[in-house]
Amino acid sequence: MSDRLMLLTYLAGVLLATSLHDLRVLGAGLLLTAALCGRALPRVLRRAVLAILLFNSVVTVSYVALSLWQGTFSPRYVLLVNLRVLLLATMTFLLAERFNPFRAFAFSPSLLFLTSLCYSQVLTLRRLFGEFRHAFRSRSIVRPGLRDLYRHGAATAAFFMRKSVSDAGEIARAMTSRGFFND
Amino acid sequence: MHIPDGFISPKMYLPLYAVAAGCWAWAIRRLRRTLDERTIPWLAVLAALSFILMMVTIPLPGGSSVHATGICLLAVVFGVWPAFLAISLVLLIQALLFGTGGITSLPLNALAMGLVGGAIAAGVFRTLKGWNETAALAAAAWLSVMVPAFLVALALGLQPLIASAEDGTPLFFPFGVEVTLPALLLPHALLGVGEGLLTVLVYRLVRDLRREGGAA
Repeated sequence: MSDRLMLLTYLAGVLLATSLHDLRVLGAGLLLTAALCGRALPRVLRRAVLAILLFNSVVTVSYVALSLWQGTFSPRYVLLVNLRVLLLATMTFLLAERFNPFRAFAFSPSLLFLTSLCYSQVLTLRRLFGEFRHAFRSRSIVRPGLRDLYRHGAATAAFFMRKSVSDAGEIARAMTSRGFFND
Repeated sequence: MHIPDGFISPKMYLPLYAVAAGCWAWAIRRLRRTLDERTIPWLAVLAALSFILMMVTIPLPGGSSVHATGICLLAVVFGVWPAFLAISLVLLIQALLFGTGGITSLPLNALAMGLVGGAIAAGVFRTLKGWNETAALAAAAWLSVMVPAFLVALALGLQPLIASAEDGTPLFFPFGVEVTLPALLLPHALLGVGEGLLTVLVYRLVRDLRREGGAA
């Protein structure tokens, strides 16, 4: 399946999963998605469950407590919302596993450049951010106080703001020198 | 405010996508007018910066911490429309490539955080900075957290009204505004204080570095 078709199928699936409220249909959707995952199923399912666990637990527990107290408890709702959210999260992680946004957006050079530049910048800055965090931890002999944590956060954010402005200029010059804007 | 998929009805997210699409088109037109060939690299880098700002933690008393939003910083330093586009792009990348947030909550988050939050922050800062720059920035950052939280709480709280079964059982988010407003606004009031403090510190650092002849 081409990446663009994969994205369109995913979007149609999201629309269907949020428009249909039959537990059997949503359950069948989850089974189908699980089958499509193939050998990646344990990894996809683990990521999906971890991603939704906190929010869904809070909503479900609060709903059960409040509705029991008000006498409006519906076990069907608990099943419906958790099944739907799990199905959507599994679909999203399956897409993240298989989907190549660069091939999907290849029909537009501008969109392709924007996606690839943004993604590569995110990966570079995220790695640098992790290194900043490790450096701060390794240089703190005692547990840093609230003031130290704020100063570290502010210094990190200020560094990345300056770096971003400088990177944007450099990338624009590099693109100009390679004739990207000549067409 | 990362709401997973499945809690917002299509009755809400589809019209919000239509509104967001119009705003994205308008924002791109405005950005192209001012930046030309620098638009693509500028937007990509700004989106990556927004992603990193959302990773910066705001320490809270007691040892816990929450993530910053960076909305006020982006809107005040770079402008409302670039901030809106950058935050939207980050939300899209987070939803599709990292699996955080959701594709159905994307337009709500983009409009509430990126557009309304950014516009409120820039407006408040511009209005109050003549009186006291630090207070203006802190107020702008606090409101850039509180106003989107209010809008998201309102959107979630409307779900039982717009999408329920015939017997009244909710189909998406189960709680009304009487629950969602205090549940979101109270913690965000504290988060807003931390965001304000962090924003003031970062803004001062960037301004001081500029004065010293830094790159930014």
